[in-house]
Amino acid sequence: MTSVNTSLLQKSDGSAELLLGSTKVIASVTGPIEPKARQELPNQASLEILIRPAVGLATTREKLLEDKLRSLLQSIIVRFKYPRQLIQVVVQFLISDSKRTETDLVDYTSNDLNAAINCCYYALIDAGIALKASFVSLSIAVKNGNLTVNPTVYELAQSDSHHVICFNIEKGKANKILLLESQGDIKEDELFAMISKAVEEAEKVHHEQQRKFVKEKVENDYVWKQ
Amino acid sequence: MELYSPEGLRIDGRRWNEIRNFECRINTHPNSSDGSSYIEQGNTKVICVVQGPMEPALRSQANSNEATLEVNLSVANFSTTERKKRSKSEKRMVQLKTTLERTFQQSVMCNLYPRTLIRIDLHVLSQDGGMLAACTNAMTLALIDAGVSMYDYVAAMTAGLHDQTPLLDMNGLEENDMSTLTIGVIGKSEKLSLLMLEDKIPLDRLESVLAIAIAGSHKIRDLMDSEVRRHGNIRSSKLAS
Amino acid sequence: MSRNTEISTNERTYFIEALKCGLRLDSRRFDEIREPQISLSKTEFGYVELDWGLTKLAVRVSAQIGKPYEDRPFEGLFQINCEISSMAWAHFDNSKNSNEEILIARIIEKAIRRSNSLDLEALCIIAGEKVWNITVDLNFLNFDGNFVDVGCFGAMLALHHFKKPDISIVNGGEDIIVHDIDERQPVPLSILHVPICLTYSFYNPGNKESNLKGEDDDEIYLLDANLIEEQVREGSIVVTLNKNRELIQLSKNGGIPISANVLLDLSFKSMKIVDELTELIKKVISKHEKERYEELNLKMLEVGADR
Repeated sequence: MTSVNTSLLQKSDGSAELLLGSTKVIASVTGPIEPKARQELPNQASLEILIRPAVGLATTREKLLEDKLRSLLQSIIVRFKYPRQLIQVVVQFLISDSKRTETDLVDYTSNDLNAAINCCYYALIDAGIALKASFVSLSIAVKNGNLTVNPTVYELAQSDSHHVICFNIEKGKANKILLLESQGDIKEDELFAMISKAVEEAEKVHHEQQRKFVKEKVENDYVWKQ
Repeated sequence: MELYSPEGLRIDGRRWNEIRNFECRINTHPNSSDGSSYIEQGNTKVICVVQGPMEPALRSQANSNEATLEVNLSVANFSTTERKKRSKSEKRMVQLKTTLERTFQQSVMCNLYPRTLIRIDLHVLSQDGGMLAACTNAMTLALIDAGVSMYDYVAAMTAGLHDQTPLLDMNGLEENDMSTLTIGVIGKSEKLSLLMLEDKIPLDRLESVLAIAIAGSHKIRDLMDSEVRRHGNIRSSKLAS
Repeated sequence: MSRNTEISTNERTYFIEALKCGLRLDSRRFDEIREPQISLSKTEFGYVELDWGLTKLAVRVSAQIGKPYEDRPFEGLFQINCEISSMAWAHFDNSKNSNEEILIARIIEKAIRRSNSLDLEALCIIAGEKVWNITVDLNFLNFDGNFVDVGCFGAMLALHHFKKPDISIVNGGEDIIVHDIDERQPVPLSILHVPICLTYSFYNPGNKESNLKGEDDDEIYLLDANLIEEQVREGSIVVTLNKNRELIQLSKNGGIPISANVLLDLSFKSMKIVDELTELIKKVISKHEKERYEELNLKMLEVGADR
């Protein structure tokens, strides 16, 4: 269900295309590069984050997503390593299923946010940007106490609550929550049950997909050393 | 409305190969600018004012190899019968401005004025077709008046196609109903420095339209040249006395 | 790293010297375009990915129901969005539109929208009340020259690929029902002609003054320039044609002048490529249609077998 392609854009330092369920997203990372004077920070890297929707021009919806993504990436990129530099992250949605039909008024952005975060991980690794730790994001729908990971937009619409949760992963263990966006009604014990289930899932994704990807990438990048 | 009668007369009484009344004046604003001109092409009226070459206001405008041209195009609200507020950031305006800047970047000997800025302000007072052409002609004259070195005149003209007949120098009514080609020609050559065609014409008719447009541009060049010479003679006679 | 990756003098000289010997750096002929690689989405109508050399583009066509302009009650709405982000190249600024971007957007828009290549009257549902609003989003992913030609081709391809949901009018023209794609076969757009943009870049290896005055004609013309070729070029012209031998647009925004004979010559020569590219769109779309129908039939058979 998940497929990742990286290094497909020649003009960016790192890029990744992620297909997650029926959401397709492409992210590019350029940096560290020279910032404009007003972006420059004296002792750390500044981030420029741009999210572009699949249809139409960017609106406040994309600005909100940008803000969430920025708060996450700010805490995970080793910014003091690149003082007075700029890291540009552009996320372009290609296929998005945030609405059930095109005329639907309710817009479920959690699958979009989830795909954007995961795609950024691969693009940042591809660009060789220093990260403090790995991170895995999950989109989860809860209905009558049952959890669905990576729900479709229909499942989102029918759920009691849905969440995007992103974990900090160190030494293969999910040890910190970096981001939790929840919508809908949820009881405290359900929330904790959801989080502990999500920890398992996140570690699984990390071991089965991210580690494999990084290993292959390092092997390919250093093929000249053998 | 008949744009071209069977007798071969156009809506304003011209034949197919006649240009409209062309009036031009050079050095119209001698106190407020380094070079200025005023052009009437039929009812299209344009003032052009040139400042420079001068020190650029922004560091980004200083190019160590050649002069930077900055064109500001403003179209008056009263330039058409419909009073409409026109913003400078409109895509069409930006395109015209960029086109003019890039055209003259080549025809002006920019390499003689490194690290300077030449600012050109165009004011369209009245529109009746051929606005881009009139702006180009006004810019050429104003730059000559400012004493900026150029390789040759850039003379511009429009031509259109009515059915099978090419028509020279389109007025506003004709321009709305027919496809119009605007060209800018360098001096008396057949070299085109500017080209703009926005509506369909059959490929096989391009040659005839292009041919009369070039002939028209050459005529405009001669008219501009005689105005420059007239002004030059007045100046030199003042110097002599 | 700086954003403005200007190319070095050595690289420039090498490139010009190669041109003088009749060679391009990627060993194409002067009038040869890069081979487009097309992938049409099987599930989403109007989603196309296009690789043109290293230039990469994703196009998305979408339809919504809107209200027509008051002065044009019978015409549908049609817009082309073309914003270039720094994903394509760090040189493009995200916060403001450069003149370059506006020029690209204007030329594509003139080629497609202004030339009426989409039949707007066919988009009318109820006159003065409801019409289809068709939007084309051009998302440039990677820049290796020639956004105009690629953008125009991609947009036309996606418009051919797109299908809007079928509708029926009920209650004597008061309400409309939009049928789901699974319920009724969606309908394609009515396209009147296919404009193809071709950009020629020129180089003048000789003296600038004698070239400007038309004393010598030894400029070199390259079709479909890539990024290096675009950075070195001294001028360019966009010729937009369709296969009915209609000239839709000529746009030369500055640069070194081009002689009238060369212009005519280039326009006539372009017809061959225009025919090829138009044929390519037709071929790819009809192949895709066929595959889709075969798949559909297969599915229907399976349902039958289950019973």
